[in-house]
Order: sequence, then structure tokens, then C-alpha cells
Amino acid sequence: MNVSTVVSLLISAILCPFALLFLKVTFVTTMASMFNPSLHKQRHQFVVDFIQRNKPKKVVDLGCGECSLLSRLKFRREIELLVGVDIDERKLRRKTLGLAPLSTDFLQPTFEQLRVELYHGSVLEKDARVRGFDLVTSIEVIEHLHLADVKCFSAVVFGYMAPKAVIISTPNSEFNPLLPGLSGFRHSDHKFEWTRAEFTSWALEACCHYGYEVEFTGVGRAPQGQQVGFCSQIAVFHRVRRENICNVPPGYDPEDEFSYTQLYSVNYPSLRDNNTLRRVLVSEVLYWTETLKNKWMEERSGDPGAEFSSWLAARGKQLHENQTTWQEYLEHPSDQCSTRALWDGEGYDHLPSAEHQQPFTLHSSLWVPLGFLCSCIPKVSSLSGSVEHLKLLLMDAPEVRLSVDGSAVIVNCLQQNDQNEKEVNDIEDTGSADACQFNSTAERVEDWEDEVYDEGSPCVKTSSGRV
Amino acid sequence: MGAHHTLSKMCQVLKLYCLWINVGIFLIVSQISAGFQQVKLGERGGRRRDFNDAGIYTRQAMVHVKDSKSGTSGKPISLSSNFFRLLSCPQWVLYQYHIKFEPPMESRRLRSALIYQHEQTLGKAKIFDGGMLFLPIRLAQKETILHSETRNKEAVKITVTLTNELPPSSPVCIQFYNLILRKILKLLHLQQIGRNYYNPHDPLNIPQHKLKIWPGYVTTILHYESSIMMCIDISHKVLRSNTVLDFMTNLRAQYGDHRFADMCTKELVGCIVLTKYNNKTYRVDDIAWDHTPNNTFVKGDTTISFKKYFKDYHDSDIYDDNQVLLVSHVKKMGPAGGPPPGPAMLVPELCHLTGLTDKMRADYNIMRDMLKHTKLEPDARERRLTRFVNSIREKPDAQAELDQWGLCFDKQLAKLSGRVLAVERIYQGSKSFDYDLWKADWSREMRGNPVISSPEIKKWFLFHTRQNGNDAHSLLESLQRVSSPLGIHLHKPVLVSYDDFPESLLKALKQNVGPDTQMVAVILPSNRKDRYECVKKYLCVDFPVPSQCVVSRTLKPKSLMTVATKLALQMACKVGGELWSVEIPLKQLMVVGIDCYHDTSAGKRSIGALVASLNQTMTRWFSKCVLQHKGQEIMDGLKMALAGALKDYHKFNNCLPSRIIVYRDGVGDGQLHSVVNFEVAQILESIKTFGEGYEPKLSVVVVTKRISCRFFAHINGSVSNPPPGTVVDTEVTRPEWYDFYIVSQAVHNGSVSPTHYNVVYDTSGLKPDHMQRLTYKLCHMYFNWQGIIRVPAPCMYAHKLAFLVGQSIHKEPNTKLDDYLFYL
Repeated sequence: MNVSTVVSLLISAILCPFALLFLKVTFVTTMASMFNPSLHKQRHQFVVDFIQRNKPKKVVDLGCGECSLLSRLKFRREIELLVGVDIDERKLRRKTLGLAPLSTDFLQPTFEQLRVELYHGSVLEKDARVRGFDLVTSIEVIEHLHLADVKCFSAVVFGYMAPKAVIISTPNSEFNPLLPGLSGFRHSDHKFEWTRAEFTSWALEACCHYGYEVEFTGVGRAPQGQQVGFCSQIAVFHRVRRENICNVPPGYDPEDEFSYTQLYSVNYPSLRDNNTLRRVLVSEVLYWTETLKNKWMEERSGDPGAEFSSWLAARGKQLHENQTTWQEYLEHPSDQCSTRALWDGEGYDHLPSAEHQQPFTLHSSLWVPLGFLCSCIPKVSSLSGSVEHLKLLLMDAPEVRLSVDGSAVIVNCLQQNDQNEKEVNDIEDTGSADACQFNSTAERVEDWEDEVYDEGSPCVKTSSGRV
Repeated sequence: MGAHHTLSKMCQVLKLYCLWINVGIFLIVSQISAGFQQVKLGERGGRRRDFNDAGIYTRQAMVHVKDSKSGTSGKPISLSSNFFRLLSCPQWVLYQYHIKFEPPMESRRLRSALIYQHEQTLGKAKIFDGGMLFLPIRLAQKETILHSETRNKEAVKITVTLTNELPPSSPVCIQFYNLILRKILKLLHLQQIGRNYYNPHDPLNIPQHKLKIWPGYVTTILHYESSIMMCIDISHKVLRSNTVLDFMTNLRAQYGDHRFADMCTKELVGCIVLTKYNNKTYRVDDIAWDHTPNNTFVKGDTTISFKKYFKDYHDSDIYDDNQVLLVSHVKKMGPAGGPPPGPAMLVPELCHLTGLTDKMRADYNIMRDMLKHTKLEPDARERRLTRFVNSIREKPDAQAELDQWGLCFDKQLAKLSGRVLAVERIYQGSKSFDYDLWKADWSREMRGNPVISSPEIKKWFLFHTRQNGNDAHSLLESLQRVSSPLGIHLHKPVLVSYDDFPESLLKALKQNVGPDTQMVAVILPSNRKDRYECVKKYLCVDFPVPSQCVVSRTLKPKSLMTVATKLALQMACKVGGELWSVEIPLKQLMVVGIDCYHDTSAGKRSIGALVASLNQTMTRWFSKCVLQHKGQEIMDGLKMALAGALKDYHKFNNCLPSRIIVYRDGVGDGQLHSVVNFEVAQILESIKTFGEGYEPKLSVVVVTKRISCRFFAHINGSVSNPPPGTVVDTEVTRPEWYDFYIVSQAVHNGSVSPTHYNVVYDTSGLKPDHMQRLTYKLCHMYFNWQGIIRVPAPCMYAHKLAFLVGQSIHKEPNTKLDDYLFYL
């Protein structure tokens, strides 16, 4: 009894992330023992779970505070536009940089795209930039509004923003007696705390008025036997009526209102951006053509008699038949022994050409048809989608040399040799030495010893440079 | 009823608890006040290493440089350097306030929240670390009382007391500037990797090798000689677009299952990886072969598998369940001085490799492609830096950050004046000549001139494989042709052929090399390390004979004469020959070079090498190498080596040197204090062992090559590299040190990087000018290069020796070789 009381006593009413003013930080740490995971994490998890089920593309968090929910949501791939709004500009500014893309996001961009925006503004005011979203969350926010303003809040959220779904959480005042040491509200800034009935009646009124339906739930279960409901009550609204809602992305209608100030916006790198796509694709194409070229050079130097084109044709055929890709082959040179036997054998009757979609050599250049790249390198095909698209993207890339008709990538195979030649020439010393030479007499000889600083006297002796 | 009971119980316990709180507060207050003595600002209040070696004041102990540490000789040259002044109004100070809460607040976060409520009084710009508040403004009263209220309606009195006015150059201000700078770099959308910031938006790609290069910046704001400046240099970060898992898969395919584990450890341990879920870098210290993503760890109170954790928290799927995990020993201290957290386990699939591996560094093609992108000519570099500083001005929120503190950066690079030291005359026996200043090379001038001295090489061997028989003969022929004009007497060697196996090579060596052998030359058919190691191990440790290896590939007919000349010179050095010298106007001087090598293969043992001059002309050297044992300081072993050098000097000169100058290389960022506080004392101790009466004058100079400082010469209206011999000892040096920069080498492309010299101890009384010139002269004395090098020759020799031992021999070389440059 004693121990458990002490523990529960120490848990002050620190149940809300906004609560900042407490006597002892120890309360914060013991909080974990009442709810595990902590209550605010449970609320966030609730939102994450909802997003996982409903896959909203555009999400706005009203009263995002220190952006802790946003920084979790930025990892959800289904979200394309993530917006945070808060009235506390300082708090927002301090946390913005945490929402920037990670270094690795630039290294391996995906097809998912994400834009993060942060606004300074009041949830009681309208702003066209947050209209027509899929989800609005407002976690432990309404209790900070004056009761009189809650109506206005409903009008802005349900009436103006009109999202497909809304998640609103607020403290359940019926739970308060179970929170030891609590008198009054859970936070000094709370203007009210509702019972379940009060919350329900507000929510139902909003539903009625704006065409939503609502489910009630919550996080933070009461101890067994206590019929007080969840510690944090949550209402999940879904829009039912469609007619009076514009579910279009905000255009720049002159009637639109812009009351928020944008503090931050960032686009995460994505393959849907053509420049990013081209860059990744070019890298990939050049990597594979280079690998092909090196293979060829190796073969050529190892066995000068071997015809590259013929073995290539044979091997390509063989690989096609076996449903293996070039990528697999090239990435696993250990398989080489098994395949070598194959392309030393039959299959010479193929005359390589662009139509046959096999790489071939011409004028000591390696020609790699785009069709070959698209069909044999899975990464290239998944990036470009089609040969035509590949061609289109590569045409604008100065790093890639395309054939005149744009059907093949040309790799020059002589480059390396030239370089080696040049290197040798650098070493080679030409011309004879006719440097001016002197006899070592009649030189001015210095003696630094004469000039050293003597610790006895503070001044430095001057030089007596002998000649 | 039940509730009522609990309530009264609660009150009792609360009282007890309050008592306990009071004790706690007493402890906390004493901690805070102790903290005042050493003020440190950190971004998150954490402890971090001091990479700028601040707080080391060595100059004040050296009377002869108290007033001026500038040299005088040489022609003036106008330069600019990659520094930007941090401008503030003349009376600028940072106001430091002490904050007292009544009743006391323990949580730093709560204290911050209370302080940030008073924006009207305190203003927008502020830094608060929990105990101290820094403002750009002076509050009306010395003591300001503010009132807040807690949620319990309890009044909190905050007393803000002005305790200090910090001048712009105070250490706290320096930390403060750097904090602001980091914030600005982030506002410019740069990504932090390690200590530097990089731009991910416009990467350079080297697709052939799947490499990406991000251009970025290395920055520090420090108090330099006369003002506070930001030193900024361009840096490039190499990143790889594939993950560690891809890399491992490739390794397995390449080496097969049985060698996979070995190769993995070899290639990955020591690499720095970036993770996909946070912006941290980790150094791979180990591989947990028994861990997979299905293993669990404790998060809070629950255990969770890695796989589930990453799915739940970062929406990252881990596809490969069989991958092993990487281990990184995180050095950071635990929260609030608690025990450090355990090692971090990393999932290869979620990690990207950064930087180059040794294998890639050795790949000529990769390096060529990379240098093409990263080498910047001086004018391009200067433009890029100026553009960067202007981008701060153009970015409103970045400039606002500076404005609110009343600071801004200069628009232009710092201008300063340097001096170009005169060309040194090179002496070869009775002849002497000057070299071309801009080339800084005298290979051409040397032709046809005999070297100072070279012992006759009567008995020597040339080993070659059967395939290289012809190479051996043509090499011999060329050697004979070039050696006699050089004054090197090379008799006909005994030719021995060996089979291309390490065992057979070793057998051939053992059978042929005898006690009277002066030199062993070996033609190696390939670049393979084992053959080379076999020769060096046997001939440096077991059977000490100077040896010379040459890879057959370099023996192309076209360049054979050049190669033969280099070989002849090198062989002459190795048997104690002296090639050239410069005028050294100091008598009885011993110059010592010290460098370290960190051997990764032998369990991260460090190797220290010491090289000391034995004669007046700096042409003969004593060399000693020590392997550091676990927990031992590198200097412990080098103390013995220095004593050995002094004995040897005595043997050569019949006296001990009256002055010793030590050039200490291989000192990392933030390690300067250990050189100043411990190594100097150890050197003095070592000298003391030669008797009470022996008190030579001693100078210790710390040599640093990897610095971000650059100089640009403005010649005839265009920007170029400064010529070799450029000395800078003003503006960009540090006021608390006796330091200077010398550009000694010439580069053909890219920007030259100067070498920094910091004289940390000096009883020699040598004028700064002479210290600078002696240092420059010594850069001429490296016999393996007929030109000027980046560091004084003894440092380069020490580096070569440590490298050979660390890379190939892994043992201390035989003492019989001490007097020879056998490692060239």
C-alpha cells in the first residue's frame, strides 16, 4: 500500500505534454509508471494507427506545439502533405529544423513524395491553405480555448477546412479524481475540462451542424472497476455530406483567406520530381554501361581472340532463356564459371543490332540499346517505366552519350587507354638539363647563432652578417 | 471514503517528499555554482571535445616572441585567405546573467519555459542553458525581478542578475558564435554529417562507382591574431547510394561464404555510416554475427525486435531477416553523467556508407574521377566561398539570426600580406645551383652532377622472376648508365631468379643474402602486398640489409631512364649516401621529426617513429620506430628513441647537440594539450638522462598538414596559388600561440594547402624569422623527392618509416639499420 501510494503520489497531473510548470521533474519520470507507454505517446500512436488504416494523403495537425507528432508522421509514407499549425511562433521556430529531410533521403529517393509546411496562426482563423485535407488532428488543444471560442473552432475545422476525417482529443475530467495530487485542471492554461457527456454533446452538435459522424474512444485506461472512461477522450469524425464541401486543393481564389504565416516549408526528394528521377536514372544507366564495358575490356584483354559481340549475343540469349537478368549476372561474378561454358558454345548466328536489343561494339565503342537496359536491368525499368520514357529522360542528360536516333547509349572504350598513355608521357622527362650552375664560393654565409635571443639581456643582438 | 483516506495519506507523504526535495535543491545549487568557473555552451548542453585546441596559451611562456612573432625576410606578397571577419559594433558585448528561481526549479526544461515567458522584458534574442542567460542587451537594472506562476498558482520569483560583460573575444562568445553559425548552416538547408555541413540538393555523381559527392563546408569561428573570423573551406563528402546490405551482398558474391566474414570485417570496420531514420553518423566498430533484425532490445519497459521497432516508429520495412547487425560503440556519456549507453546496433539495410575505403583510395580510376570533380582551382575556390557568405546575407531568416545579436559577416575574404622566402641554393659537393621558384623541383638541375657522397655498392643482388628476366637486364643496363654521372659506384650485381610465390622468394633471399651484402633489389611482377611484405619483413627485421623493390610494370622502356635514376638515388640513400644539402646556419644542431601511424590491422596499435639528424648538413639520419603497447602513450617509447638518437649523434660528432629542434607531426585536432602538457616534459626528461650539466636549447614545433586554411595570391589581377616559400605569420594565426604557416610545395592543379607550424616550446632564442627559414630549408631535404615537400624532411622520413612498419612489417626494425634511410 505504502509504496504504491508514494508512487502514485509522485505522479502529479503531468498528463499532458503542454504541462510545463511543475515543482519537480521527478513527476515526469514517474509518469511512465502510470501509463506505459506514456499518455502522449499513446495519443500519437492512436493517430499513427488511424493513418495506417485510412491512408490519408494530406494531414494537418492543429496546435502542433513542439512538432513531436509531426516528426513521427513524417515517416509515414502514405502522407504527401504534412502541415502543422500553432499559435506559439517561438516553439515552432525552434523545432522546424527537426522536420527537414535526413541525409539519406537524398541518397535513395523513392517514388513517395512529401511536403512539410509549418504555419504560425490561430485555429480560430481561416486559411485556405489547409482546406480540403484528408485528416485534421487536434490533440489536446480545444481545452486551451475559451469555451466561447469552441464554437468558432468547430466552424473553422468542420465548416471551413472540411476535411474527410478529424481526430480530436481532450482530457476527460471524470478521470481527474484518479490522478493523485490534482486539484483543478490538469494544466494551468486549460480553460475547461469536459466530462464524457460534455464532450459527446459538443461533438454531436458539430456532426449535426456540419455533416459528420463521430465515434468516441480514448487512451489511458482507468484501473479495473472504475467506470470513468479513458484518461484522454478522443473523438474521430468522418464526413458524410459531400455537397457543400469543396474537396479541391486550395487554388488562389480571390475570396480565399490567408491568415497564417508560413514559417517553414520543405519538399522531400522524390522520384516524381523529374530532375531527381533523371539524376538517379542517369547514375544507374552509367553504372551498368560502365560495368558492361569493363566486362568487355576484361574479356578482350584476357582472350584477345574472343569476339565480344558473339559471346554477348549468346550470353544474352542464354540469360533470357533462363529468366535471369543481366543485373544478377553482373552482380554475381562468381556465377561466371557456369555461364562461361555456355557462351563459348553455340549461338553465334546472332548478328547484333539495335533491333535485337543486344549490346554490340562499333568503332571501338560499346553500344547499349535502351531496350536492352529496360528489359535486363530491373532497376532501370522500374525507374523509367518504358523505353520511350527512358529515351526522353536520357536525352536531356549531358552525361549520357546517345546514338543519333536515341536508341542506344554509346560508351567509348578507348578512354582508359588514352589516359594511360598520357600518364606515361607525364613521367617521361624530355630535354636535357642545362641548369645554371654556380660554384659554391663567394657566397654570403649567415650565422644565426649570432642573432639568437639571449635570456640575460632583453634586446636581440643585431646581425653581423659576414660576407 | 477510500478517496478521502488516500488524500490524507497523500498529504503526509508530500511533506516528507518536500523535505527530501530541499536536500536535493541544495545539491543542485552547489552544482550550478561550480559550473560558473568553466562556462561551456553546447547545442544540447552536452559535453564535446574541443577540436580547436582553445585554452592552450603557449606563447606567453616564450619571452622572445612576446612582442612579435613575425619574420622579416623575403619579398612581400599580397594574399587573401579563406577567412571572413565577424563584424559587430565597436562596443559589442554579450551580457551574462545569473538566473535564480524562488522556489528553485530543477528541470532545465521548466526553467527554460519560465524564462521564455518573459520575452517582453528580455527580448527575442537569448540563449539560456538552465543556469545562465546570455542577452545582447543590458537590462535597465543590475538585478531584475520577474514573476511567474506555476499551475499550482504558486508564485515563482525569478531574479536576473547581471554577472558579466563578455568581450567579443571571450571563450564563451566564441562558443556562442559557433552555435549561431551551425544554426545558420541548417537554415541554409545544409545537412550535417559529422562535424561539417553539406549540400544534398546538387550532388556530383560518379555513377561508374555508385558514388555521390556532396559539396559542403568546414567552418570554425575563432579569435585569430587581430580579429574574430570565420575560417571556411570547401569540403566534399563521398556518399554511396547503396546500403551496407547491398555492399555486404556484393562482398559475399565476390568472395564466397568462407571468406565473407573476414572481408566484411576488413572492409566495414572503421567505416562511417549514415542511418535512414536519424541524422546521425556511426562508426562501425564490430559486426554482431549472432544478431539479426529479429533480435530484441529493451525500449522503455518493453522488449521489441529491431524489425518491429523500425516498422512501428519509422515505417521502414526490413526485408532481409538474415542480415547480421553492425555494432557501434557510442562514446557519448549517458544522460546527466550517467553510465554511457550500450553500443548501438545498426541494421545494414538501413545504413548508407560514407567516405572512401582504402581499397577505393587505391583505385586509380575512382580517384581520377573524383579529383576531376573535387579539385578546385584557387579562383574557383575563392568564388565559391564568397558566394557562400553572400548566400547568408540573401537568406532572410539566416541574416535575421545574426541581426538579432548585432552581428554580421564581412563580404570579402580577409586580406593579408605574406612573404615569399628566397629560393634556397642546393649544394652538391663542390657544385651548387638554384631551382625554379614556381616548379620547386630540381630533378633537371641535378642531372650530370655527382651527389655529395655515396658508398661504393660492391656486393648486391637483383632478384627477379623468370618472366621478368629481360626487364632485369634492361634495368641493369640503365642503372649502369645513370649511376656513374651521379657519382654512385654501382658494381655488377648477382642476378637471382625466383618463382612468383612468397615462399620461393623468401627461400631465394635466405640462400643468397649474406652478411657482406650491401643491397638487395627485387623486381616484383605485380603490386601484390604479400611479396613486398615478405622482402621487407625478412630484410628489415630478421636479416638487416637495405632493400629496394620495384614493380615490373613501372619498367617500361619509355620511362626507364627516369625510373633508373630514381632507383639509383634511392639505393644510394639507403646505404648511407648523401645526395644534396642546403646551407644550415646553426652549429651543433639536431633536428628531430616525429610522426605516428595508426595500424588498423594489428588491433589498432599505434606506431611512433622518430628520425633525428646526425650531421651538420642534415644528410645523415638516425631512425627509430616503436610500437605502442596497449594503454601506453606513444611518447613513452619515443623517449628511449630520443636517447638513442643523442647517443648516436655523439658517436658521429664526438659531442652532444647544443640545440635540439623537434618537429612533431601526427597530432590530431584537440590533442595539442597532451603535447604541451606531457610530451614536452618527457622530451626534457629524456635529455636529462645525459647528466646534470647537459642542457641543450630545445624547441618543439607541432606540424599540422590537415588544416582548412588556404591562401590565394593576387598576381597581376588574377587569383593563383601562392608560390613555394610563402610564409604567413599575421592575421590568421592565433594570438595565444607562436605559430606560422608556410606554403612549401608547388601544386600543378587545385589549390595548394599550407602547412601550419606551432612552436609550443622554445628555449632556443631563435628569431621567428630564423625558425621559419630553418623550417623551410628542411622541406628541401627529403632525398626521395628532388624538390620541396609539404613538411620538414625529418617528419616525412618519420612518416615513411611508421607507414612501412605499420603497413608491412608490424615489428620493430633491426637496430643495425638505425643509421640508414632503409625505409625510403
